[in-house]
Amino acid sequence: MTIVTNNPDVKSKYEDDHTVVFVEGGYKDVLVKVRDLVHEGHQLLTHPLMGSLKPNETPYRSIAVSAQKGPVDTDSVILISESIETFDKFAKIVRPDRGTNTPERLLADFRLIDLTLISSAVDFH
Amino acid sequence: MKLELGLIHVTDVQFGPESKIEGSVVYLNEEEIKKIVLEDETIKSVKLDIARPGESVRITPVKDVVEPRVKVEGRGGVFPGWTHKVDTVGEGKTNVLKGMAVVTTGKIVGFQEGVIDMVGEGAKYTPFSKTVNLVLDIEPVEGLKQHEYEKAVRLANLKVSTAIGELARNITPDEVKVYEHDTIMEGIKKYPDLPRVGYVLMLQSQGLLHDTYVYGVDAKQTLTTMIMPTEIFDGAIVSGNCVSACDKNPTYIHENNPVVEELFAQHGKTLNFVGVIITNENVYLADKMRSSDWSAKLCKYLGLDGVIISQEGFGNPDTDLIMNCKKIEAEGVKTVLITDEYAGQDGASQSLADADVAADAVVTGGNANVVVHLPKLDKVIGHIEYVDTIAGGWSGSLQPDGSIIAELQVITSSTNEQGFGKLSAR
Repeated sequence: MTIVTNNPDVKSKYEDDHTVVFVEGGYKDVLVKVRDLVHEGHQLLTHPLMGSLKPNETPYRSIAVSAQKGPVDTDSVILISESIETFDKFAKIVRPDRGTNTPERLLADFRLIDLTLISSAVDFH
Repeated sequence: MKLELGLIHVTDVQFGPESKIEGSVVYLNEEEIKKIVLEDETIKSVKLDIARPGESVRITPVKDVVEPRVKVEGRGGVFPGWTHKVDTVGEGKTNVLKGMAVVTTGKIVGFQEGVIDMVGEGAKYTPFSKTVNLVLDIEPVEGLKQHEYEKAVRLANLKVSTAIGELARNITPDEVKVYEHDTIMEGIKKYPDLPRVGYVLMLQSQGLLHDTYVYGVDAKQTLTTMIMPTEIFDGAIVSGNCVSACDKNPTYIHENNPVVEELFAQHGKTLNFVGVIITNENVYLADKMRSSDWSAKLCKYLGLDGVIISQEGFGNPDTDLIMNCKKIEAEGVKTVLITDEYAGQDGASQSLADADVAADAVVTGGNANVVVHLPKLDKVIGHIEYVDTIAGGWSGSLQPDGSIIAELQVITSSTNEQGFGKLSAR
Protein backbone atom coordinates (compact mmCIF):
# COMPACT_ATOMS: atom_id res chain seq x y z
CA MET A 1 0.00 0.00 0.00
CA THR A 2 1.21 3.50 -0.81
CA ILE A 3 -0.16 6.44 1.15
CA VAL A 4 -0.19 9.85 -0.47
CA THR A 5 -0.60 12.59 2.12
CA ASN A 6 0.13 16.16 3.10
CA ASN A 7 -0.50 15.32 6.75
CA PRO A 8 2.74 15.05 8.75
CA ASP A 9 1.01 12.91 11.41
CA VAL A 10 0.06 10.31 8.80
CA LYS A 11 3.60 10.34 7.49
CA SER A 12 5.14 9.76 10.90
CA LYS A 13 2.68 7.00 11.81
CA TYR A 14 3.02 4.98 8.61
CA GLU A 15 6.39 5.70 7.02
CA ASP A 16 8.10 2.72 8.71
CA ASP A 17 5.59 0.14 7.44
CA HIS A 18 4.27 1.63 4.21
CA THR A 19 5.49 3.71 1.33
CA VAL A 20 4.47 7.27 2.08
CA VAL A 21 4.50 9.89 -0.65
CA PHE A 22 4.55 13.18 1.23
CA VAL A 23 3.13 16.11 -0.70
CA GLU A 24 4.30 19.60 0.25
CA GLY A 25 1.08 21.41 -0.51
CA GLY A 26 -2.68 21.42 -0.03
CA TYR A 27 -5.62 19.04 -0.42
CA LYS A 28 -5.78 19.67 -4.18
CA ASP A 29 -2.06 18.89 -4.57
CA VAL A 30 -2.66 15.49 -2.97
CA LEU A 31 -5.55 14.80 -5.36
CA VAL A 32 -3.41 15.77 -8.35
CA LYS A 33 -0.51 13.59 -7.19
CA VAL A 34 -2.91 10.65 -6.81
CA ARG A 35 -4.35 11.33 -10.26
CA ASP A 36 -0.83 11.12 -11.69
CA LEU A 37 -0.18 7.83 -9.90
CA VAL A 38 -3.53 6.43 -11.08
CA HIS A 39 -2.61 7.37 -14.66
CA GLU A 40 0.65 5.46 -14.19
CA GLY A 41 -1.32 2.32 -13.24
CA HIS A 42 -1.74 2.50 -9.46
CA GLN A 43 -5.19 1.59 -8.20
CA LEU A 44 -7.15 3.72 -5.74
CA LEU A 45 -7.69 1.89 -2.45
CA THR A 46 -9.49 4.58 -0.42
CA HIS A 47 -12.09 7.14 -1.39
CA PRO A 48 -10.42 10.49 -2.18
CA LEU A 49 -13.27 12.42 -0.47
CA MET A 50 -13.36 10.43 2.77
CA GLY A 51 -14.92 12.17 5.76
CA SER A 52 -17.71 14.70 6.11
CA LEU A 53 -15.36 17.68 6.31
CA LYS A 54 -15.74 19.43 3.01
CA PRO A 55 -12.84 20.00 0.62
CA ASN A 56 -12.81 23.73 1.38
CA GLU A 57 -12.70 23.11 5.14
CA THR A 58 -9.96 20.64 6.01
CA PRO A 59 -6.48 21.41 4.67
CA TYR A 60 -5.37 17.77 4.98
CA ARG A 61 -5.89 14.79 2.77
CA SER A 62 -4.56 11.25 2.81
CA ILE A 63 -5.32 8.68 0.13
CA ALA A 64 -4.13 5.07 -0.20
CA VAL A 65 -3.24 3.59 -3.58
CA SER A 66 -1.86 0.18 -4.52
CA ALA A 67 1.89 -0.21 -4.13
CA GLN A 68 2.03 -2.15 -7.40
CA LYS A 69 1.37 -0.72 -10.81
CA GLY A 70 -0.80 -2.58 -13.34
CA PRO A 71 -2.95 -1.72 -16.33
CA VAL A 72 -4.66 1.63 -15.82
CA ASP A 73 -7.77 1.08 -13.67
CA THR A 74 -10.71 2.91 -15.25
CA ASP A 75 -12.78 3.03 -12.07
CA SER A 76 -9.89 4.71 -10.27
CA VAL A 77 -9.44 7.21 -13.10
CA ILE A 78 -13.14 8.15 -13.00
CA LEU A 79 -13.27 8.40 -9.20
CA ILE A 80 -10.19 10.61 -8.84
CA SER A 81 -11.36 12.82 -11.72
CA GLU A 82 -14.81 13.25 -10.18
CA SER A 83 -13.21 13.99 -6.83
CA ILE A 84 -11.07 16.76 -8.34
CA GLU A 85 -14.21 18.21 -9.96
CA THR A 86 -15.95 18.15 -6.58
CA PHE A 87 -12.95 19.79 -4.93
CA ASP A 88 -13.01 22.58 -7.53
CA LYS A 89 -16.75 23.11 -6.95
CA PHE A 90 -16.19 23.61 -3.22
CA ALA A 91 -13.09 25.74 -3.75
CA LYS A 92 -15.33 28.41 -5.31
CA ILE A 93 -16.90 28.98 -1.90
CA VAL A 94 -14.15 30.87 -0.10
CA ARG A 95 -13.66 30.24 3.60
CA PRO A 96 -11.26 32.77 5.08
CA ASP A 97 -10.27 30.55 8.02
CA ARG A 98 -10.50 27.26 6.24
CA GLY A 99 -8.60 25.10 3.82
CA THR A 100 -5.11 26.45 3.27
CA ASN A 101 -5.89 29.44 5.52
CA THR A 102 -6.85 27.38 8.56
CA PRO A 103 -5.52 28.99 11.74
CA GLU A 104 -2.89 27.17 13.75
CA ARG A 105 -5.24 26.36 16.65
CA LEU A 106 -7.43 24.16 14.39
CA LEU A 107 -4.70 22.40 12.44
CA ALA A 108 -4.00 19.67 14.99
CA ASP A 109 -7.69 18.66 15.09
CA PHE A 110 -7.92 18.53 11.29
CA ARG A 111 -4.75 16.40 11.23
CA LEU A 112 -6.24 14.07 13.83
CA ILE A 113 -9.50 13.53 11.91
CA ASP A 114 -7.58 12.88 8.68
CA LEU A 115 -5.29 10.44 10.52
CA THR A 116 -8.15 8.47 12.12
CA LEU A 117 -10.10 8.27 8.86
CA ILE A 118 -7.18 6.90 6.86
CA SER A 119 -6.28 4.61 9.78
CA SER A 120 -9.76 3.08 9.61
CA ALA A 121 -8.74 1.84 6.17
CA VAL A 122 -5.02 1.16 6.58
CA ASP A 123 -5.12 -0.60 9.95
CA PHE A 124 -7.76 -3.11 8.92
CA HIS A 125 -6.29 -4.13 5.57
CA MET B 1 -42.59 -9.21 15.40
CA LYS B 2 -44.92 -6.79 17.17
CA LEU B 3 -43.94 -3.66 19.07
CA GLU B 4 -46.26 -1.24 20.80
CA LEU B 5 -44.92 2.24 21.29
CA GLY B 6 -46.66 3.95 24.18
CA LEU B 7 -46.34 7.69 23.64
CA ILE B 8 -46.35 9.91 26.69
CA HIS B 9 -46.75 13.48 25.51
CA VAL B 10 -44.32 15.78 27.30
CA THR B 11 -45.09 19.50 27.36
CA ASP B 12 -42.35 20.60 29.75
CA VAL B 13 -39.21 19.55 31.59
CA GLN B 14 -38.37 21.21 34.90
CA PHE B 15 -35.76 20.79 37.60
CA GLY B 16 -37.21 19.86 40.99
CA PRO B 17 -36.47 18.01 44.21
CA GLU B 18 -37.65 14.66 42.88
CA SER B 19 -37.30 13.03 39.47
CA LYS B 20 -40.77 12.04 38.35
CA ILE B 21 -43.41 12.47 35.68
CA GLU B 22 -46.62 14.22 36.60
CA GLY B 23 -49.19 14.72 33.90
CA SER B 24 -47.25 15.92 30.89
CA VAL B 25 -44.35 17.41 32.85
CA VAL B 26 -41.04 15.67 33.47
CA TYR B 27 -39.37 16.77 36.72
CA LEU B 28 -35.68 16.06 37.11
CA ASN B 29 -33.45 16.22 40.14
CA GLU B 30 -30.42 18.03 38.79
CA GLU B 31 -27.97 16.38 41.17
CA GLU B 32 -29.17 12.88 40.25
CA ILE B 33 -28.63 13.56 36.56
CA LYS B 34 -25.19 15.06 37.20
CA LYS B 35 -24.24 12.02 39.29
CA ILE B 36 -25.06 9.70 36.38
CA VAL B 37 -22.84 11.72 34.06
CA LEU B 38 -20.00 12.06 36.57
CA GLU B 39 -19.83 8.29 37.18
CA ASP B 40 -17.49 8.43 34.20
CA GLU B 41 -14.07 9.40 35.53
CA THR B 42 -13.09 10.95 32.22
CA ILE B 43 -15.70 13.68 32.71
CA LYS B 44 -14.65 16.62 34.86
CA SER B 45 -17.94 18.50 35.00
CA VAL B 46 -21.36 18.81 33.46
CA LYS B 47 -23.71 21.77 33.24
CA LEU B 48 -27.42 21.11 32.78
CA ASP B 49 -29.89 23.40 31.12
CA ILE B 50 -33.36 23.22 29.62
CA ALA B 51 -34.30 24.79 26.29
CA ARG B 52 -37.97 25.08 25.37
CA PRO B 53 -39.66 25.76 22.03
CA GLY B 54 -40.15 29.49 21.48
CA GLU B 55 -37.44 30.57 23.96
CA SER B 56 -34.70 32.86 22.74
CA VAL B 57 -32.06 30.14 23.12
CA ARG B 58 -29.33 28.79 20.85
CA ILE B 59 -27.64 25.43 21.59
CA THR B 60 -24.22 24.82 20.02
CA PRO B 61 -22.11 22.79 19.22
CA VAL B 62 -24.56 19.90 19.32
CA LYS B 63 -23.13 16.37 19.42
CA ASP B 64 -26.12 14.05 19.63
CA VAL B 65 -29.83 14.17 20.34
CA VAL B 66 -31.59 11.24 22.02
CA GLU B 67 -35.24 10.52 22.82
CA PRO B 68 -35.75 8.85 26.21
CA ARG B 69 -37.48 5.49 25.98
CA VAL B 70 -38.01 2.50 28.26
CA LYS B 71 -38.78 -1.11 27.48
CA VAL B 72 -41.75 -2.11 29.62
CA GLU B 73 -42.50 -5.51 28.13
CA GLY B 74 -40.50 -7.92 26.02
CA ARG B 75 -36.86 -8.91 25.77
CA GLY B 76 -33.94 -6.63 26.48
CA GLY B 77 -33.71 -2.92 27.11
CA VAL B 78 -33.27 0.23 25.05
CA PHE B 79 -29.84 1.00 23.53
CA PRO B 80 -28.74 -2.66 23.61
CA GLY B 81 -24.97 -3.00 23.84
CA TRP B 82 -24.73 0.28 25.76
CA THR B 83 -27.10 0.75 28.68
CA HIS B 84 -28.57 -2.75 28.44
CA LYS B 85 -27.28 -6.18 27.46
CA VAL B 86 -27.32 -7.16 23.80
CA ASP B 87 -30.62 -9.09 24.06
CA THR B 88 -32.64 -8.75 20.87
CA VAL B 89 -35.10 -5.88 21.19
CA GLY B 90 -38.03 -4.83 19.01
CA GLU B 91 -40.82 -6.87 20.53
CA GLY B 92 -43.29 -6.13 23.31
CA LYS B 93 -43.97 -2.65 24.65
CA THR B 94 -41.80 0.46 24.84
CA ASN B 95 -42.78 3.75 26.41
CA VAL B 96 -41.59 6.92 24.73
CA LEU B 97 -41.26 10.42 26.18
CA LYS B 98 -42.56 12.18 23.09
CA GLY B 99 -41.83 15.89 22.92
CA MET B 100 -38.56 15.95 24.81
CA ALA B 101 -34.96 15.17 23.95
CA VAL B 102 -31.58 14.96 25.61
CA VAL B 103 -28.98 17.01 23.75
CA THR B 104 -25.22 16.83 24.34
CA THR B 105 -22.76 19.61 23.70
CA GLY B 106 -19.00 19.76 24.17
CA LYS B 107 -15.90 21.04 22.41
CA ILE B 108 -14.44 17.74 21.22
CA VAL B 109 -12.51 19.27 18.34
CA GLY B 110 -12.00 22.91 17.45
CA PHE B 111 -14.10 23.00 14.31
CA GLN B 112 -17.16 21.38 15.82
CA GLU B 113 -20.65 22.12 14.71
CA GLY B 114 -24.37 21.81 15.09
CA VAL B 115 -26.79 24.63 15.94
CA ILE B 116 -30.27 24.26 17.42
CA ASP B 117 -32.20 27.55 17.63
CA MET B 118 -35.40 27.38 19.67
CA VAL B 119 -36.93 30.42 17.95
CA GLY B 120 -36.55 32.52 14.80
CA GLU B 121 -35.22 31.68 11.35
CA GLY B 122 -32.99 28.80 12.51
CA ALA B 123 -35.83 27.12 14.39
CA LYS B 124 -37.65 26.61 11.09
CA TYR B 125 -34.93 24.28 9.86
CA THR B 126 -34.27 21.98 12.82
CA PRO B 127 -36.79 19.45 14.13
CA PHE B 128 -35.30 19.92 17.61
CA SER B 129 -36.73 23.42 18.01
CA LYS B 130 -40.03 21.63 18.63
CA THR B 131 -38.82 19.44 21.50
CA VAL B 132 -38.16 20.46 25.10
CA ASN B 133 -34.43 19.82 25.33
CA LEU B 134 -32.44 18.82 28.39
CA VAL B 135 -28.92 19.93 27.45
CA LEU B 136 -25.79 18.31 28.90
CA ASP B 137 -22.73 20.51 28.46
CA ILE B 138 -19.86 18.13 29.17
CA GLU B 139 -16.31 19.11 30.12
CA PRO B 140 -13.63 16.39 30.06
CA VAL B 141 -10.73 15.90 32.48
CA GLU B 142 -7.55 17.56 31.31
CA GLY B 143 -5.59 15.75 28.62
CA LEU B 144 -8.43 13.45 27.54
CA LYS B 145 -7.97 12.35 23.94
CA GLN B 146 -10.67 13.36 21.47
CA HIS B 147 -11.87 9.79 20.81
CA GLU B 148 -12.26 9.13 24.55
CA TYR B 149 -14.08 12.43 24.96
CA GLU B 150 -16.47 11.59 22.11
CA LYS B 151 -17.21 8.21 23.70
CA ALA B 152 -17.79 9.78 27.13
CA VAL B 153 -20.25 12.30 25.68
CA ARG B 154 -22.07 9.62 23.69
CA LEU B 155 -22.38 7.32 26.71
CA ALA B 156 -23.45 10.13 29.02
CA ASN B 157 -26.39 10.92 26.77
CA LEU B 158 -27.45 7.28 26.49
CA LYS B 159 -27.22 6.78 30.28
CA VAL B 160 -29.16 9.94 31.09
CA SER B 161 -31.79 9.18 28.43
CA THR B 162 -32.17 5.65 29.79
CA ALA B 163 -32.58 6.97 33.35
CA ILE B 164 -35.20 9.52 32.26
CA GLY B 165 -36.94 6.82 30.23
CA GLU B 166 -37.17 4.69 33.40
CA LEU B 167 -39.40 7.38 34.94
CA ALA B 168 -41.99 6.45 32.30
CA ARG B 169 -41.96 2.72 33.06
CA ASN B 170 -45.26 2.68 34.97
CA ILE B 171 -46.99 5.56 33.24
CA THR B 172 -50.08 4.84 31.15
CA PRO B 173 -49.35 6.23 27.69
CA ASP B 174 -51.49 8.96 26.12
CA GLU B 175 -51.40 7.16 22.80
CA VAL B 176 -50.37 3.70 21.63
CA LYS B 177 -48.96 2.96 18.19
CA VAL B 178 -48.72 -0.65 17.07
CA TYR B 179 -46.06 -1.82 14.62
CA GLU B 180 -46.36 -5.37 13.41
CA HIS B 181 -43.72 -6.75 11.11
CA ASP B 182 -44.71 -9.84 9.17
CA THR B 183 -42.28 -12.67 8.52
CA ILE B 184 -41.43 -13.20 4.86
CA MET B 185 -43.88 -16.10 4.58
CA GLU B 186 -46.69 -14.20 6.31
CA GLY B 187 -46.18 -11.20 4.04
CA ILE B 188 -46.34 -13.33 0.89
CA LYS B 189 -49.54 -15.05 2.03
CA LYS B 190 -51.29 -11.90 3.23
CA TYR B 191 -50.36 -9.55 0.41
CA PRO B 192 -49.64 -11.62 -2.71
CA ASP B 193 -50.57 -8.77 -5.05
CA LEU B 194 -48.74 -5.90 -3.39
CA PRO B 195 -45.23 -4.82 -4.44
CA ARG B 196 -42.52 -6.15 -2.14
CA VAL B 197 -40.59 -3.17 -0.81
CA GLY B 198 -37.48 -3.01 1.36
CA TYR B 199 -35.33 -0.29 2.88
CA VAL B 200 -31.55 -0.06 2.56
CA LEU B 201 -30.39 2.06 5.48
CA MET B 202 -26.83 3.30 5.01
CA LEU B 203 -24.83 4.00 8.17
CA GLN B 204 -21.92 6.43 8.42
CA SER B 205 -18.80 4.43 9.42
CA GLN B 206 -15.53 6.15 8.58
CA GLY B 207 -13.66 6.80 11.82
CA LEU B 208 -13.47 9.28 14.70
CA LEU B 209 -16.63 11.43 14.84
CA HIS B 210 -17.93 9.57 11.78
CA ASP B 211 -19.18 6.32 13.34
CA THR B 212 -22.45 4.48 13.98
CA TYR B 213 -23.06 1.52 16.27
CA VAL B 214 -25.46 -1.41 15.93
CA TYR B 215 -26.08 -3.29 19.18
CA GLY B 216 -22.83 -1.74 20.39
CA VAL B 217 -20.79 -2.91 17.38
CA ASP B 218 -18.90 -0.36 15.30
CA ALA B 219 -20.67 -0.48 11.92
CA LYS B 220 -17.44 -0.20 9.95
CA GLN B 221 -16.52 -3.68 11.13
CA THR B 222 -19.82 -5.22 10.04
CA LEU B 223 -21.06 -6.86 6.87
CA THR B 224 -24.32 -5.77 5.29
CA THR B 225 -27.12 -7.49 7.17
CA MET B 226 -30.78 -7.30 8.08
CA ILE B 227 -32.34 -5.70 11.13
CA MET B 228 -35.98 -5.87 12.15
CA PRO B 229 -37.53 -2.42 11.77
CA THR B 230 -38.91 -2.48 15.30
CA GLU B 231 -35.40 -3.08 16.70
CA ILE B 232 -34.48 0.37 15.38
CA PHE B 233 -37.33 1.90 17.43
CA ASP B 234 -35.78 0.34 20.56
CA GLY B 235 -32.45 2.11 20.07
CA ALA B 236 -30.52 -0.70 18.34
CA ILE B 237 -28.74 1.93 16.20
CA VAL B 238 -26.78 4.64 18.02
CA SER B 239 -24.97 7.59 16.47
CA GLY B 240 -21.32 8.38 17.13
CA ASN B 241 -21.33 10.75 14.18
CA CYS B 242 -20.56 14.35 15.10
CA VAL B 243 -19.57 15.77 11.72
CA SER B 244 -21.88 17.41 9.20
CA ALA B 245 -24.70 18.58 11.44
CA CYS B 246 -27.24 18.98 8.68
CA ASP B 247 -27.16 15.48 7.27
CA LYS B 248 -25.91 13.15 9.98
CA ASN B 249 -28.49 10.97 11.68
CA PRO B 250 -28.65 11.69 15.42
CA THR B 251 -29.73 8.75 17.58
CA TYR B 252 -33.14 10.47 17.94
CA ILE B 253 -33.75 10.19 14.19
CA HIS B 254 -32.72 6.54 14.15
CA GLU B 255 -35.22 5.92 16.99
CA ASN B 256 -37.87 7.71 14.92
CA ASN B 257 -36.71 6.61 11.45
CA PRO B 258 -39.33 8.26 9.20
CA VAL B 259 -38.77 5.85 6.30
CA VAL B 260 -39.54 2.90 8.56
CA GLU B 261 -42.56 4.75 9.98
CA GLU B 262 -43.95 5.40 6.50
CA LEU B 263 -43.27 1.87 5.25
CA PHE B 264 -45.20 0.54 8.25
CA ALA B 265 -48.02 2.99 7.49
CA GLN B 266 -48.22 1.76 3.89
CA HIS B 267 -47.76 -1.92 4.72
CA GLY B 268 -50.75 -3.93 3.54
CA LYS B 269 -52.22 -0.92 1.75
CA THR B 270 -49.98 0.11 -1.12
CA LEU B 271 -47.03 -2.20 -0.52
CA ASN B 272 -45.68 -5.16 1.39
CA PHE B 273 -42.90 -3.92 3.71
CA VAL B 274 -40.49 -6.84 3.61
CA GLY B 275 -37.55 -5.63 5.71
CA VAL B 276 -34.62 -3.37 6.46
CA ILE B 277 -31.07 -3.95 5.24
CA ILE B 278 -28.30 -2.04 7.04
CA THR B 279 -25.05 -1.37 5.23
CA ASN B 280 -21.99 0.69 6.09
CA GLU B 281 -20.08 3.54 4.41
CA ASN B 282 -16.40 2.75 4.83
CA VAL B 283 -13.38 4.64 3.53
CA TYR B 284 -11.75 1.59 1.94
CA LEU B 285 -13.00 1.04 -1.61
CA ALA B 286 -12.94 -2.77 -1.34
CA ASP B 287 -15.27 -2.44 1.67
CA LYS B 288 -17.64 -0.33 -0.41
CA MET B 289 -17.68 -2.96 -3.14
CA ARG B 290 -18.28 -5.77 -0.66
CA SER B 291 -21.00 -3.95 1.26
CA SER B 292 -22.92 -2.87 -1.85
CA ASP B 293 -22.55 -6.36 -3.38
CA TRP B 294 -24.16 -7.74 -0.25
CA SER B 295 -26.97 -5.16 -0.32
CA ALA B 296 -27.82 -6.19 -3.88
CA LYS B 297 -27.53 -9.89 -3.03
CA LEU B 298 -29.94 -9.54 -0.10
CA CYS B 299 -32.43 -7.48 -2.15
CA LYS B 300 -32.47 -10.18 -4.81
CA TYR B 301 -32.71 -12.99 -2.27
CA LEU B 302 -35.69 -11.33 -0.60
CA GLY B 303 -37.44 -11.10 -3.97
CA LEU B 304 -37.96 -7.36 -3.65
CA ASP B 305 -39.66 -5.28 -6.30
CA GLY B 306 -38.34 -1.99 -4.96
CA VAL B 307 -36.20 -0.44 -2.25
CA ILE B 308 -35.73 2.95 -0.69
CA ILE B 309 -32.07 3.78 -0.03
CA SER B 310 -31.11 6.51 2.43
CA GLN B 311 -27.54 7.71 2.83
CA GLU B 312 -25.72 9.60 5.56
CA GLY B 313 -23.14 12.29 4.90
CA PHE B 314 -21.55 13.76 1.81
CA GLY B 315 -18.86 12.90 -0.76
CA ASN B 316 -17.54 9.48 0.01
CA PRO B 317 -21.03 8.13 0.91
CA ASP B 318 -22.30 9.36 -2.47
CA THR B 319 -20.15 6.60 -3.94
CA ASP B 320 -21.73 3.99 -1.63
CA LEU B 321 -25.17 5.36 -2.53
CA ILE B 322 -24.57 5.07 -6.26
CA MET B 323 -22.91 1.63 -5.91
CA ASN B 324 -25.94 0.39 -3.97
CA CYS B 325 -28.30 1.92 -6.52
CA LYS B 326 -26.53 0.50 -9.60
CA LYS B 327 -26.08 -2.99 -8.23
CA ILE B 328 -29.59 -3.27 -6.81
CA GLU B 329 -31.12 -1.98 -10.06
CA ALA B 330 -28.99 -4.51 -11.96
CA GLU B 331 -30.79 -7.23 -10.00
CA GLY B 332 -34.09 -5.95 -11.37
CA VAL B 333 -35.09 -4.13 -8.18
CA LYS B 334 -36.29 -0.53 -8.55
CA THR B 335 -34.65 2.04 -6.28
CA VAL B 336 -35.59 5.42 -4.85
CA LEU B 337 -32.73 7.32 -3.23
CA ILE B 338 -32.91 9.84 -0.41
CA THR B 339 -30.00 12.25 -0.13
CA ASP B 340 -29.31 15.95 0.33
CA GLU B 341 -27.37 18.29 -1.91
CA TYR B 342 -24.25 20.43 -1.93
CA ALA B 343 -25.20 22.35 -5.02
CA GLY B 344 -23.39 25.61 -4.22
CA GLN B 345 -24.82 28.70 -2.56
CA ASP B 346 -26.77 29.50 -5.74
CA GLY B 347 -27.92 25.90 -6.16
CA ALA B 348 -26.49 25.75 -9.68
CA SER B 349 -23.72 23.16 -9.23
CA GLN B 350 -23.70 19.37 -9.44
CA SER B 351 -25.39 18.16 -6.23
CA LEU B 352 -23.60 14.90 -5.53
CA ALA B 353 -20.01 13.72 -5.89
CA ASP B 354 -21.16 10.69 -7.88
CA ALA B 355 -24.01 9.90 -10.26
CA ASP B 356 -25.37 7.19 -12.55
CA VAL B 357 -28.22 6.80 -15.01
CA ALA B 358 -29.70 4.11 -12.74
CA ALA B 359 -30.31 6.84 -10.14
CA ASP B 360 -33.43 8.13 -11.86
CA ALA B 361 -35.64 8.49 -8.76
CA VAL B 362 -34.10 10.71 -6.11
CA VAL B 363 -35.65 12.60 -3.22
CA THR B 364 -33.68 15.51 -1.78
CA GLY B 365 -33.57 16.74 1.79
CA GLY B 366 -32.48 20.20 0.62
CA ASN B 367 -29.36 22.12 -0.44
CA ALA B 368 -26.93 22.37 2.49
CA ASN B 369 -24.99 25.26 0.86
CA VAL B 370 -27.90 27.71 1.11
CA VAL B 371 -26.91 30.75 3.21
CA VAL B 372 -29.07 31.60 6.21
CA HIS B 373 -28.99 34.58 8.56
CA LEU B 374 -29.76 33.59 12.13
CA PRO B 375 -30.68 36.42 14.52
CA LYS B 376 -28.95 37.05 17.83
CA LEU B 377 -30.68 35.12 20.57
CA ASP B 378 -30.70 36.07 24.24
CA LYS B 379 -29.07 32.96 25.61
CA VAL B 380 -26.48 30.51 24.33
CA ILE B 381 -26.11 27.04 25.83
CA GLY B 382 -22.74 25.58 24.97
CA HIS B 383 -19.93 27.47 23.26
CA ILE B 384 -20.78 30.26 20.81
CA GLU B 385 -17.12 30.87 19.92
CA TYR B 386 -17.28 27.69 17.85
CA VAL B 387 -19.66 29.18 15.33
CA ASP B 388 -16.78 30.81 13.49
CA THR B 389 -15.15 27.43 13.07
CA ILE B 390 -18.24 25.35 12.55
CA ALA B 391 -18.75 23.32 9.36
CA GLY B 392 -20.59 25.66 7.03
CA GLY B 393 -19.44 28.73 8.90
CA TRP B 394 -16.38 30.88 8.33
CA SER B 395 -14.39 33.64 9.96
CA GLY B 396 -16.96 36.37 10.40
CA SER B 397 -19.92 34.00 10.56
CA LEU B 398 -20.50 35.29 14.03
CA GLN B 399 -21.48 38.92 13.40
CA PRO B 400 -20.65 41.79 15.80
CA ASP B 401 -24.36 42.04 16.66
CA GLY B 402 -24.42 38.37 17.71
CA SER B 403 -26.27 37.13 14.64
CA ILE B 404 -24.83 34.38 12.46
CA ILE B 405 -24.46 34.23 8.69
CA ALA B 406 -23.67 30.69 7.62
CA GLU B 407 -24.72 27.87 5.36
CA LEU B 408 -27.66 25.69 6.25
CA GLN B 409 -25.25 22.87 7.02
CA VAL B 410 -24.54 24.41 10.46
CA ILE B 411 -28.08 23.57 11.62
CA THR B 412 -28.66 20.19 13.21
CA SER B 413 -30.70 17.88 10.95
CA SER B 414 -31.73 20.66 8.53
CA THR B 415 -31.17 18.51 5.43
CA ASN B 416 -31.57 15.11 7.03
CA GLU B 417 -31.21 12.25 4.56
CA GLN B 418 -33.85 10.04 6.13
CA GLY B 419 -36.28 12.82 5.32
CA PHE B 420 -36.85 13.81 8.95
CA GLY B 421 -36.63 17.50 8.16
CA LYS B 422 -39.05 19.75 6.35
CA LEU B 423 -37.01 20.71 3.29
CA SER B 424 -37.28 19.22 -0.15
CA ALA B 425 -37.46 20.43 -3.74
CA ARG B 426 -39.81 20.22 -6.65
